This record gives sequence, structure tokens and C-alpha cells, in this order.
Amino acid sequence: MKFVVSSSGLLSHLQAISRAIASKSPMPILDNFLFSLEGQKLTITASDTEVTMITTLDLETTEGEGVIAMPSRILLETLKKFPEQPLNFEIDEETLAVDIVTEKGKFSVVGQNGEDFPALPQIDEDKASNVQLSADTLLTGIVKTLFATAEDELRPVMNGILFEFTPDNMTFVASDSHKLVRYQRLDVKTDYEASFILPKKPASLLKNVLPKEDGEVAVSFDDQNAYFTMQNYQLVCRLVEGNYPSYNAVIPQDNPNKVIVDRVDLFNTLGRVSLFASQASNLVKLHLSNNEMVVSAQDIDFSISAHEKLSCQYDGDEMEIGFKSGFLADILDNISSSDIVVELSDPARAGIFVPHDKSENEDELMLLMPMMINA
Amino acid sequence: MDAFFASIEQRDNPSLRGKPVAVGGSSDRGVVAAASYEARVYGVHSAMPSKIAARKCPGLIFVKSRFDVYKADSSKIMEIFRDYTNLVEPLSIDEAFLDVTTNKVGMPSATIIARDIKKRIKEATGLTASAGISVNKFLAKIASDQDKPDGLFVIKPDEVLDFIESLPVTKFFGVGPSTARKMHDLQLFTGGDLRKADFSMLVRNFGKSGIFFHNIANGIDERPVVTHRIRKSVGIENTFSQDLSTRDEMLTELRNLEKGLWDRVKRHGAYGKTLTLKVKYSDFEQITRSHTFSDYVTDPKLVHQAVIDLLNLADMEKPVRLLGISISNFKEKESEGPVQLTIKFD
Repeated sequence: MKFVVSSSGLLSHLQAISRAIASKSPMPILDNFLFSLEGQKLTITASDTEVTMITTLDLETTEGEGVIAMPSRILLETLKKFPEQPLNFEIDEETLAVDIVTEKGKFSVVGQNGEDFPALPQIDEDKASNVQLSADTLLTGIVKTLFATAEDELRPVMNGILFEFTPDNMTFVASDSHKLVRYQRLDVKTDYEASFILPKKPASLLKNVLPKEDGEVAVSFDDQNAYFTMQNYQLVCRLVEGNYPSYNAVIPQDNPNKVIVDRVDLFNTLGRVSLFASQASNLVKLHLSNNEMVVSAQDIDFSISAHEKLSCQYDGDEMEIGFKSGFLADILDNISSSDIVVELSDPARAGIFVPHDKSENEDELMLLMPMMINA
Repeated sequence: MDAFFASIEQRDNPSLRGKPVAVGGSSDRGVVAAASYEARVYGVHSAMPSKIAARKCPGLIFVKSRFDVYKADSSKIMEIFRDYTNLVEPLSIDEAFLDVTTNKVGMPSATIIARDIKKRIKEATGLTASAGISVNKFLAKIASDQDKPDGLFVIKPDEVLDFIESLPVTKFFGVGPSTARKMHDLQLFTGGDLRKADFSMLVRNFGKSGIFFHNIANGIDERPVVTHRIRKSVGIENTFSQDLSTRDEMLTELRNLEKGLWDRVKRHGAYGKTLTLKVKYSDFEQITRSHTFSDYVTDPKLVHQAVIDLLNLADMEKPVRLLGISISNFKEKESEGPVQLTIKFD
């Protein structure tokens, strides 16, 4: 089997899928990329058994067909060192010898039998659901929720993003039980109700590869696996099993104290003031009075403190609420719109963050639990 | 503390006041954890099967135990103790030895300190305590039982021998029903009998404890008040009679260690975040590999999985003579700082 491929073209495809390979592979073969040549089409696969990423390249010069597993690390490192040039891959299927022949030299490695590479999990056709999403919608949904996922061995469902499809809308949800994000798309509708929980790793792989994609992503899933088929890449992954907790029930409905504030102003103020927060708690306090917000923090251990005023629209009760500065920054960083509405009831109950100017097809809500002083 | 659990229940529920109360399950297999003084009049005492307690005391009111509340009161009390001395040795949830020979408040008299502590406990918890003051732990403990409830009893140095003289042996530390029977058979009924008894006879009959009985009968108890060291880790390890060379052998041994570890974790309530695997090879080289979980581990299955993962990180080329696993990184004491609230999912 022989083929000619551009060094930089191959590198960019390999880099995108190489993130699927685990630093400690569960099987030695999974330290390899699987190369499969069929006609003019080269398919390359990387996997850690839980997540598999596949990419295809259309080549002009090929000879023969077949599969071979090539060691990933040395291949990636070598490709990074080549200036852009055509590379001739010459593979002996008998000896598994791989020669990468350039104009000036030859780089030889030994591959492994491609047949040993684990097969892809199959979607159960009877239980399968299919949906088309724009790459942009999928990317936005993942970006907005991924930061709020948990690291919880005891409740694995919390470590993923819930994808929920209904005839009315589609919802992305993530929560680490300190914060919760619910991002709804009113322009994605299915004629059935279905859901799955996407683990963190495939979610972040998608986050990395989706910016290179446009057009539609075909998602098909059953109760165990999901396929995300994009134009240049395909991601196949095992889903988190179990039921996601009923997230709507924990979103408080009655929050009389509403404040409208410039998101970037608040984010920047928070960035300055939070440097003065206690390193143990990272507590920042928001004090709200008539059309004024004061953000303050102090670290008694080092005798440092800071406070800064912000103008805002507020005519609710005078109140003070504490948040962990990092969590609050995450929320402000990931919410859309220049002005945001923060809906509060009392210092011991969740704060709700929503965009002030809602876009037509989006419904975005972020919830953050406060910190209680001497609770 | 006087009838600690029962007094807390009576404090928090006025309708129980002045009535015989037993904390504990009322079912057939239930046991009384604590009885109020009103119930004690009928002979109800802790560790008594609830069935018998109910028979002894017809209107006995059973109340479910609320350990969280008891613990909260207990830590308030222990905090008060520590205002007076760092030498506090908790004996149980509601009693402790305090060495106030030198104290933080510069009070010359243990009796004044005891009065002060009792007053502060009353203010902080609404409960009464009984204090016993004497020259050593044995006598202080005995003294604390002399004047209950709300008592304060002092055995002064020159009263020690007189006090012990008539003290029944059943009141001695380490004398349970069977030792008491044995002592009675030997015509030893009081501290005076013990003091007069032949030392070698005591050792012959009671072994090491005989020395202890002899000493305390003479008012000698040199045991210091030891503050419980803070436990940093809970672990278990085993050196094998033959070195292990296969992964399967190691996994089998680790499985046994996991069970032992988990028993200890449960016994000490020592739920930590970090699991450490220790491997000593046949050449005595020793390595440790550890994994820190995001939360306190309360499920032994997680330990099992992590042990397997950690074993995979260890070099398996050399035979292994010892394997050990431990859990550390325990929950810190309730901090006074701000607390991040969590979403309560169903």
C-alpha cells in the first residue's frame, strides 16, 4: 500500500484527532493511529475505546488498499519537524514496515496489524435517534455548558453535558451542583423526546474540532453510544449511563430583586477586586442598593481589601450576597449579551444570570449558588 | 455531662421535661442509648434492651437519637474545655479529662475552674454537667460520678486513702462483672481490701491489671492526660510470607487489604480524599503512588478501582514483599469561614 500526502495537511488532521488518544492507553494498539486506505480515500482513526475520532483525506496518488496502525507519537513529532512537502508512505503489509520517503531521506517505523484496532461500537438501529444540528449551534451549546460540568466520581451523570431533544426545543444542561447552565435552542426541534449525557472528554474534543467545521452535524445516538458526523471529522463516543437530575426543579422562579448591569464592566471589576479576596474562600461580596452595586473582597490574613462601585439598574431591597469569585467570573465569561440581568431573592438562595437582550432562538440561563458567611 | 442525650432531648422538646425519657429505638431489638434521671429512678439505664426498659418503667417515652445534635453540643463543650487547657483528653462524646495543673486562665484552683466550666456549659448548651476533681485520672473520674447530676465533687490529696478505703471494687476502672465476681471470690470488696491484698497474689490472679489495681488502691495513677493526636491517615499493610510476582497475586492481596482498610475507615469515620498505594519490592526499594479524589470517598468501590489504577502505575518488574494502602486527606474541622452552598438535586 502506498500513498502520497501533504505533510502539513496530514499533521493538522492527526493533531485534531490525536487528542482522543489517552496518555495511558488501555491497550497498546491504541497508542497508534489507524490508517485505512480505500481507493483515493485515506481514513485515520484515533481512540481510547471510550472516544474515537475519525478523519478522512482525499488523496490524488495512491496504490493498493489496506489498513495499518502506525505509532502516534513519533509520527506526530516527525511531521511537526517537516517543512511543507509531499510525503510518500510506503507500507509493506507483510512485515508492517512503514517507510516515509521524502525528497532527501527516508524515515522508517514499524506499524502494527490494523485488524487489531478495536472496532467501532454500533448504534442499535431500533433505539437510534437522529438529529441534524448546525456546527455553530453544537459548538455554542458545548462552550456554554462545558465549564459547569462536575468532577464527581460518585455521580458520573454530573460529569457530562445533558442533551435533551423535544418537539419544542433542544436543551444543553450542565451542573457541578455549585453552578448550573441551561442553554436552550428554540430552532432545534425533533418530533420525538430523547436525551443523552455526553461525557466531558468527547465534549471538549468537539469543542476543539467544531470551529474548523461549518454546515450541519449529523448526530445519531442510542442509549449507549453517539456518533457526531461532521464534514471533515467523525466522533464516536460512549455516553454516560444514568438519569440526569431534574434540573428545572432547582431553578428558583420567584426572584424579586433584579439587577441589570454591564457584563464586561462587572467582569473587569471582579477581576480587580477578587485579587484581594481570601485565598481560602475566594469570597467576593456584591452589595446592592438603589442603582448601585459595590463589589468588595478582603483577606484578613494579609490585611488587604478592595471595593469598587458599579452603576446598575436596581430598585429592589438593599442586600448583600457573596459568591466565589472564580465561579462568578466563569459565569460572566460564558454568558452572552452586553447587559445581563442578575435575579436574586436572598443571600442564601441561588442567583440567576440571564442575558438582558435575548436572541430570538436562544434561551440562556446560568445559576450560581452563593457563599454563606459563617453558615 | 448528666444524662447527655436524654437531657438534650428534654431541652429541645419541653413536653419531655420531668418525664422518663429513653433515647434509642423502641423496637424489639432496640437498646437504650441514654435514660433521663426520671427514667433512671425505675432502673432504666443505658445499654439496656428497650423491651426490658419499657417493662421496668411503664410510661417510658422513647425518643429517636439525633447524633448530629449531640455532636454539635459535644463540640461546644470541648471548645469550652480548651479555653482552660490544651490538655483535654476526650473520654467519650460527653466527658473528658482536663489537666489544669497549669492552665490558660491563671486560676489557682481546679474547683474554681470546674465551677466556671459548669456555668459556661449551662450558658452555651442549657445542659448540666458534673465535675470530679482529684489528684489523678482514676480518682477524678470516680469523683465525677459521686454527686450527679449537676455535681461538683472534690477528693483532696489528704482524703484520697480514706475515700478509696470504702470504695466498692466495682467502681474501679477496668473492673467489669467478671473481674468483680473474681474479686468477690477472693474476698476483695472494697478499695481497702485491695490495698491490704498481697501484691503478688493480685498479679497472679489479674496479671498486669493486678499491678494497676494495686497502684490505684494506693491512690497512685500516673497516667498522663493525653490529648488525642489528630489522625492523619488510616492504613493497612501486609508483608507477605512469600514475595508476590504476578499481578493477579497482588490484586488478590490488595482485595483483602481493601476490606481491612474499609473496616478501619468506617470504624474511625475517617473518610479521606487521597488513596495511597505502597509497594515494597524484594530489594527493599519502596515506592508510593497516590490518587486524590475530588470528594471524600464514602464508597469502597471507588477505592477498589483506584487501587487497580494505582497498581498499574507501579513498576511490576520486581517481586513485591509488601503492599499497603492508606487513606488520608480527611475532612478538615468545620471551618469558620464562608461556606459555598450547593444545589440540592433530588
